[in-house]
Amino acid sequence: MSERDSVDLSGDRGAQDVRESIYHAAFFACAAVSVLTTLGIVAALIAPTIQFLGEVSVSSFLLGTEFTPKIKPVSFGVLPLVFGTLLITAGAAAVALPVGLLTAIYLSEYASGRQRAVLKPMLEVLAGVPTVVYGYFALVYVTPLLDAIPGVELGTFNALSASLVMGIMIIPMVSSISEDSMSAVPDSLRNGAYGLGATKYDVATSVVVPASISGVAASYILALSRAIGETMIVVVAAGQNARFPGSVPDLLTSFFESTQTMTAAIVQLGLSDLAGGTTGYRALFAIGLTLFVMTLLLNLISDFVAQRYQEEY
Amino acid sequence: MATDTDRANPGGESGFGRVSRIRGRLFESLTLGASVFGIAALGVLLAYVFWDAFGLDAAEPVWYAVFAGLTVLPAVGFVWYARRAPAVGETSLELVSTLLAGVLGGFGAVAVLEVIAGDEVWFAYCCTVVAPLVGLYVYGRLDQTATWVGLGYLTTLVAGPVVGTLLLGPLRTVAALLGAPLVYLVTLVVPTAVAVRYVVGDRLALGNGNYAAAGLLAVAVLGVPVVDRVGVSRSVWLLFLVALAPTGVVVWKNAADGRWAGLLGPVGVVGGLAATVAVTDLVGIAGPEPWFDWQYVTTAPSQTAAEAGLYPAIIGSVFVIVLVAIITLVVAIGAAVYLEEYAPTGGVAGGFARLIRINISNLAGVPSVVYGLLGLGVFANLANLGVGTVITAAFTLSLLILPIVIISAREAIQSVPDSLRQASYGMGATRWQTVRRVVLPQALPGTLTGTILALGRAIGETAPLIMIGVATTAFSPPSGLFSRTSAMPMQVFVWSSYPSEAFQHGVVAAGVVTLLIVLLTMNSIAILVRNKFERETH
Repeated sequence: MSERDSVDLSGDRGAQDVRESIYHAAFFACAAVSVLTTLGIVAALIAPTIQFLGEVSVSSFLLGTEFTPKIKPVSFGVLPLVFGTLLITAGAAAVALPVGLLTAIYLSEYASGRQRAVLKPMLEVLAGVPTVVYGYFALVYVTPLLDAIPGVELGTFNALSASLVMGIMIIPMVSSISEDSMSAVPDSLRNGAYGLGATKYDVATSVVVPASISGVAASYILALSRAIGETMIVVVAAGQNARFPGSVPDLLTSFFESTQTMTAAIVQLGLSDLAGGTTGYRALFAIGLTLFVMTLLLNLISDFVAQRYQEEY
Repeated sequence: MATDTDRANPGGESGFGRVSRIRGRLFESLTLGASVFGIAALGVLLAYVFWDAFGLDAAEPVWYAVFAGLTVLPAVGFVWYARRAPAVGETSLELVSTLLAGVLGGFGAVAVLEVIAGDEVWFAYCCTVVAPLVGLYVYGRLDQTATWVGLGYLTTLVAGPVVGTLLLGPLRTVAALLGAPLVYLVTLVVPTAVAVRYVVGDRLALGNGNYAAAGLLAVAVLGVPVVDRVGVSRSVWLLFLVALAPTGVVVWKNAADGRWAGLLGPVGVVGGLAATVAVTDLVGIAGPEPWFDWQYVTTAPSQTAAEAGLYPAIIGSVFVIVLVAIITLVVAIGAAVYLEEYAPTGGVAGGFARLIRINISNLAGVPSVVYGLLGLGVFANLANLGVGTVITAAFTLSLLILPIVIISAREAIQSVPDSLRQASYGMGATRWQTVRRVVLPQALPGTLTGTILALGRAIGETAPLIMIGVATTAFSPPSGLFSRTSAMPMQVFVWSSYPSEAFQHGVVAAGVVTLLIVLLTMNSIAILVRNKFERETH
């Protein structure tokens, strides 16, 4: 024994091994929290949803065009909410996708190092402002501003100002990921194009953007997913009026009127039915599950696009 | 850009060259315009909200002139000067961030210790948890061979709260005998003085640490008659003194290095503001009528706009965020260490680690309102922690920002060079010793930066709080982990639906400004930590 002791330089290995495995287990437990979170989300959403679908049929939930949880006869059709969500997302996308792409082009192709160092943190600030603050901006400042434009008749709550402000919020999501993938385009491609007589404009639009299209597409999808899941802006500024357009003119005027998104409906039910035990309470989770599935699918598609269509250099 | 276009079109002034040059210029301005669009839009909106919150409508034109002359002009001059002398800018950033952090920390300490826990409860847990932990830390620093210190931490963290709860009665009696100011003096001011002695005397070698420590204690005691006269409670004075002690050290450090110029800017702005107020008061010029003032942050909400305040919501937010910070930091560092240092690459465990990594990036994309549903279903109802309680809110928000913090902690750990790890293993260190002594100290600043930024996100989150039933309006601050609370963004949300003009353009604007100031403070602290870290590694 004494000989072995003299060989073992690290001292008391027995206690040390126990300690090492305690820490290993503790760290593993911390890492497992994230998996438990996912399982928790899925379980918390699915259990009440199954119960809900026992009370309201699947077809009347998924295909119903009326969402009136408070007015008798109550009806829980999710389509008006999906329409409201898509309407606002489309409005936000109309602002954020082109602006974000152009911003990314400027940052990666035109801006000097110093301009980049100033612009990038300032763009990140756009994503850091609390969403309830954006909602307040949309309601109190943007709506009166847009209403003052001749020919635009806006309600106090409307989809237009909510989606505009949301668009501003998600610009940095588009620009930062797009710029990353544009910066990854090797300079040899740019130089090759210059060698063929291309202008800077040609290089930016015909070489860099096509070469980084997978990253741009991934950023677009991610931004859409963020817009779909955004809650406070629409709750504060877009109102609580679930509507499903019956005709094409109705669709066009939808932007100027109050609209309810899925997230806003969740909040509305959350503020009234939190005590539990009601169909409205369970509808909350059913809508939440729909939202979760939509955003999860978009995130997975975004990942897939970014990896599958990535150009290798 | 023009030169590039010229080079690409050797034809020079041919019609084709001119057209493509114009097109190129137009496109460049278009992209520049797009880059500035969002920032400008946000800038205009922020200007509106600050205008409303500070009631600048009410000020006379002369007031603006005085304000511009005494505050804006010196500030602009200083910024212009600081741009040309980076060291000056750095010093003022350091000073401003530590000062803001000190003020924020002071408010946090007052909120958690004085308002929520109370001095007696703090004393009990300080004796059984905090003091042993600090003692272990100091002992571990002095005796590097003591291998049991790490397990000592774990034991204290597990057993300390239990012992504290068991002994709560007798310890409360002791604390009651001491009185609140004396409790803070013993538990906070004296340790701070010891820390100041170490930092000033040994770490930074600025001067005699004993004098610094004695000076701090003297200020603490001698300030008492002053604060008594002003009407501030002695406990609040001591807590703020402790929170602002680092600022004093920073001032001393920069002054000792001869960097007076950097101190000038922040002092000038504060002095300029004071001068503006003094001059306009003296001459009798009508100043702004701010909604955002002392009354606003110290009173409870009210149906009357002029009397409305944010106090319970601020305390609630601070309480929740402190808990979220503790939970996320511990769990995120643990998870990141597992994924980067422990997780095997192959086999079942390796597959599980890969699953965790994919899972974390997907969790970061889940809408916040869904986390609210998770909190409602699991914490509030299943675990029965209560609807809208502090603990439910803290757990929910922790899970919400955990993916972000884990990602930043992983990046920080990845940036630790492998040579350091190999050197540590080569010396015979175990995995845990390598993690604790080599990896974590290097990765901590990056992790902290990411954590603070994520906490900024957590403090502004509203949707999950609505879902877990956080009070829309609370008239008193939360009294414990299981009491129902309000939060700043919740209050802003509720008030924004009040139709009255005074609420829409006054009270809510002030709430938004409070929220933004807290966020700005947290972000500048994060920038400070990052700058400090970058300077040390380069």
